[in-house]
Amino acid sequence: MKPPPFAYVAPDTVEGVVGALVDAGEDAKILAGGQSLLPLLALRLGRPSVLVDMGRVPGLDTVRLDGDALVLGALTTHARLGRDPEVAGPMPLLAEVAPLVAHAAVRNRGTLGGSLAHNDPAAEWPAVALLLGASVTAVGPAGSRTIAAGDLFESYLTTALAPDEVLTEVRVPGVPPRTGDAFDEVSRRHGDFALVGAGARVTLDAAGVVVAAAVVFIGVDGTAVLDEQPGLDLAGRAPTPEALDEVARAAADRLDPHDDLHATAAYRRRLAATLACRTLVTAAGRAAGEARP
Amino acid sequence: MSAPDPAYELDVELSVNGEARRARVEARRSLAELLRDDLGLTGTHLGCEHGVCGSCTVLLDGEPVRSCLTLAVQATGRAVTTVEGLAVGDDLHPVQQGCLECHSFQCGFCTPGVLVTAAALLDEVPDPDEATIREALSGNLCRCTGYESIVEGVLRAAELRREA
Amino acid sequence: MVARLTGSSVRRVEDPRILTGRGRYVDDVTLPGMLHAAFVRSPFPHARVQGIDVSEALRMPGVRAVLTASDLDGVATDLTPVGPPDLLLAPFPALARDTVRLVGDPVAVVLADSRARAEDGAELVEVDYDPLPGVGDMDDVLAGTTAAIFPELGTNVVHRATHRYGDTDAAFAAAERVIRARFEQHRHANVPMECRGMIAHHDPATGVLDVLAAHQSPHALRLHLADVLGLPAHAVRVHCGDIGGSFGQKFGLTNEDVAICAASVVLGRPVKWIEDRSENLMVGGQAREERVDVEAAVDAEGRLLGVRLRLVLDQGAYPKIGYPATGYVSIVRALFPAAYRLEHLDVESVVVCTNKATYVPYRGPWEIETWVRERLLDRVARELGLEPAVVRERNLLRPDELPCESTTGVELQGFDPRRTFDDALALLDVPAFRARQAAARADGRLLGLGLVNVLEPAPVTPSLIRAMGIMAAPRTVQEARARLELDGSVTVFTSQMPHGQGHETTLAQLAADELGLTLDRVRVVHGDTQLTPFNMVGTGGSRAATLASGAVVGAAVAVRDRVLAVAAELMEIAPADLELVDGHVVARGAPEVRRSLAEIGRLATMRPGLANADGRPGIEEVGTYLSEEGTWSVATHACEVDVDPETGLVHIDRYVVVGDCGAVINPAIVDGQVRGGVAQGIGAVLLERSAYDRDAQFLSSTFMDHLLPTAVDIPRIEVHHIHHDPTGGIDYRGVGEGGAIGAPAALTGAIEDALAHLGVRITEQHLPPGRILELIDDVTAG
Repeated sequence: MKPPPFAYVAPDTVEGVVGALVDAGEDAKILAGGQSLLPLLALRLGRPSVLVDMGRVPGLDTVRLDGDALVLGALTTHARLGRDPEVAGPMPLLAEVAPLVAHAAVRNRGTLGGSLAHNDPAAEWPAVALLLGASVTAVGPAGSRTIAAGDLFESYLTTALAPDEVLTEVRVPGVPPRTGDAFDEVSRRHGDFALVGAGARVTLDAAGVVVAAAVVFIGVDGTAVLDEQPGLDLAGRAPTPEALDEVARAAADRLDPHDDLHATAAYRRRLAATLACRTLVTAAGRAAGEARP
Repeated sequence: MSAPDPAYELDVELSVNGEARRARVEARRSLAELLRDDLGLTGTHLGCEHGVCGSCTVLLDGEPVRSCLTLAVQATGRAVTTVEGLAVGDDLHPVQQGCLECHSFQCGFCTPGVLVTAAALLDEVPDPDEATIREALSGNLCRCTGYESIVEGVLRAAELRREA
Repeated sequence: MVARLTGSSVRRVEDPRILTGRGRYVDDVTLPGMLHAAFVRSPFPHARVQGIDVSEALRMPGVRAVLTASDLDGVATDLTPVGPPDLLLAPFPALARDTVRLVGDPVAVVLADSRARAEDGAELVEVDYDPLPGVGDMDDVLAGTTAAIFPELGTNVVHRATHRYGDTDAAFAAAERVIRARFEQHRHANVPMECRGMIAHHDPATGVLDVLAAHQSPHALRLHLADVLGLPAHAVRVHCGDIGGSFGQKFGLTNEDVAICAASVVLGRPVKWIEDRSENLMVGGQAREERVDVEAAVDAEGRLLGVRLRLVLDQGAYPKIGYPATGYVSIVRALFPAAYRLEHLDVESVVVCTNKATYVPYRGPWEIETWVRERLLDRVARELGLEPAVVRERNLLRPDELPCESTTGVELQGFDPRRTFDDALALLDVPAFRARQAAARADGRLLGLGLVNVLEPAPVTPSLIRAMGIMAAPRTVQEARARLELDGSVTVFTSQMPHGQGHETTLAQLAADELGLTLDRVRVVHGDTQLTPFNMVGTGGSRAATLASGAVVGAAVAVRDRVLAVAAELMEIAPADLELVDGHVVARGAPEVRRSLAEIGRLATMRPGLANADGRPGIEEVGTYLSEEGTWSVATHACEVDVDPETGLVHIDRYVVVGDCGAVINPAIVDGQVRGGVAQGIGAVLLERSAYDRDAQFLSSTFMDHLLPTAVDIPRIEVHHIHHDPTGGIDYRGVGEGGAIGAPAALTGAIEDALAHLGVRITEQHLPPGRILELIDDVTAG
């Protein structure tokens, strides 16, 4: 199971990476952690003529605060997201989700930027990016631009990134007051791609009534699905278990999952409802001030 | 600073088990193949070549990685530790000694990946409980043992490390 | 005084090299001038091959040759499976000539400077396929709507047999109840961590074919290769280094074996082939796809009066060279009653051919008889409102009923049919479990308990062989040799071929004890056909503990006798007054009167006539062991689960094995075998499946699709050993397969027990979480 032949280049600047992409034409692929790309190449499911390794560009793995937004370099590994207090402090959801990504050896190499650019329908980070209203910086030959998560993820393994653009940074806005979030998934085995995953975010007002709520799903479509209808359904209501359950079921009913080797559409929809409810409950609790473990 | 041209073959210089090593390899060559075929360190095994079984696990700058999902060229300038680098002369590493005492393995094919992963675990968590060990090893498939003997071996290794 | 090694968990001789990464597996070896092979394989389940164009591939840099069927003409014959006269079999070429019969069927082999280049070349081989309908469903075959995959056979039903024992008509007429069920076991695979491979080196200068293989039976492979390649057997050597597991897959003769050896003959260079994981999952060998329709006549107390079974087995396209499919169905039939009282039994078996991978022997190839029987007993319990343990208790033979002969003609002796069962029940405390189960249900939690009795032929006994209908098979003779070296160390030669079982250690323990040596003074040599005694089976069928032990002990004892005879002459003391202690021959009661084994070894070799009357120098003796009746290992498995009603995920709370495998040479090694087997059974139920669609297109060719259990999925497994009758002598029994045989029944039984109060009945073996929720929905929705 050997990859087809390709050429390799490892520029040491972002401009160099972009230049290499431009030179190689549509046939190039960016190599970040390689944990998604290299298995595809081993299975000969892709045959890029050139791999442009962005891993030698310094400064793309920094973690910093910009105001109350958390700014993460594209090369921040899943492992770092899971254990760096600079991440867990401002954005605890990232630290909670990181251990769900594959296994430790993969987390040590795989990157946030790589995961977002690859956009596997069962990957966690695209969903978390949607839920947290994140945006990314993409640099191309014409310069850099900001892409909101809602505009980034288009379809199965497809994003709004152009073939000559590289994702350099992810910006996660600060968590608003009285806002809680949660993410959970069900997989066949620990560390597998999720069969279904769900995340929820809930914002309450001072009286404990919902002012905003959203859920996001993975494993149910070609790309992660953000659903903000729960916010409308719950507006002005107390986040009781019954209300959240009802909203979760309604959200699951709006999904259109598919059958495959690992699960039927019916099972995915059912898990989606269960997980949406669980995460809404947890998120609402956290919004009300319950401590995270 | 302009980028060099893309190349199909490149030189790799890295440290393996404390020794400086070099080779000229195809860009598509994995770190696992570099270690096994170019450097003669066949302890690291290939069980799936798509990053699931963990038989190829080595330490890259001290952290477990799947050497089948790492290109050899990505390891240039880095330090790799393989199973061959765990023992110091004739002195077994505590994970090797612990697993010897506990009959941890049978056919031995998953063994190098497990040992390297366990060694890194104990460096980070010197006194892991069973659940932590199982979680840390959940990316290493073993078909022979049912894992219990391996867990015992790692627990024993933790004891040996404390006693040292 | 050297402590006795047998019976203690001596550290493994294999481990120093295994733990330091210095094991030597096939892929670790490089020979000068070696080429690497990659096969071109069919993407279709069934197709005519109209033409093959290798010209593009040959132009690829690094590609040295591309061979197809016509290149093998005159070099290798077709592979010719053998079996009983009523099993339909057809020969087939190593590389497809005009037909491919499964996804992955090899059509050509590319030889190149590296595996990567060989794969590059393989992509450029153009094959003109004319697809045919794929046969992927046993019911389509049974309905007669499929075209023969081997046209010369005229059918895809390759075997039918009916056996009647006793009088089921009478039994059914007298029955209080008749219980019917269809049990379906899914296709899955051995999946060793090391894929299959070999290095074949035909040296044109000497004419010798030297094969470094990963194979359970080197001698069998040698004979097959000599036969197919038309080489004299003396010119074929097969040897094995370390093997990364097999579980029955690295066995017999395969297309690839022939093609790779033929390639070396054609090219005059060593050829290495290592399959990749996709190939292994696709064509490495699969097993367990069987369906059993059962009718059971029972009385009001749940006793089995009569059983009728109809078994259908899907053998895939190509038969296994070295293990005909009748071998599976006949042992299932013969073993079905196990240690239960069952006089009246009809077994109808059908073997069908489909466009799937070859059905290979997988750890306990007859496992379905345990699964169906034990799950049937559970079903009887449910239908009659009885506790499953009680139904078993009523049907199990009592010790005072042994020895006896089962209705299928199997001699049941040499074991206690109840002891492991009674001990297991004591450990479980079923009433307490039932109380916990009821309380949990009130909380919406679903706990379940499964119970299984396993009777493992370890190894197969003569009466079992007869009951299977294999009249011509000789009784299994195992041979070993032991040689006293000139320095007093000992080499033991065995026909065993360990691939994880630790024979280098266990057999050395036995020999060392007989000769009063420390373990480091004994080395076990295996795997090389030039050195080791002949045996068609090598390692498999849970035989090493009994047969190899018997042969090794026999050889060691013979060496001891000869050593004492030589020492007696040198020391002028009767052999009866001498003993072997710590590498020395010592006078009893006068330990200062001694000669070292080194001295004995040297003198025996250098002084003509001292060691042997015929003047043969040195001390080297053969031990043989014939299998007898009574070599059964018994076990009871119990499993407690917690099924999550929201996700269908199953948590195993407890798993217990109480086993009697006789005396134990190395407890740690035995426990490892049991746990490893149980883990495979758990994996089969919850995770593993070799998936085909109805047209036999293969769907699970990576580890993302074919899931194996991890350290988080397998619980601690409590293993309790009992030894019902320590009579001494060679009472070590095999145990390698029992774990895998019992676990699927224990786990599926527990899952059903967790859901039974809802009305769920489970007769399938693959239970992923979605399926469990479906089973619940099916009964609660209706």
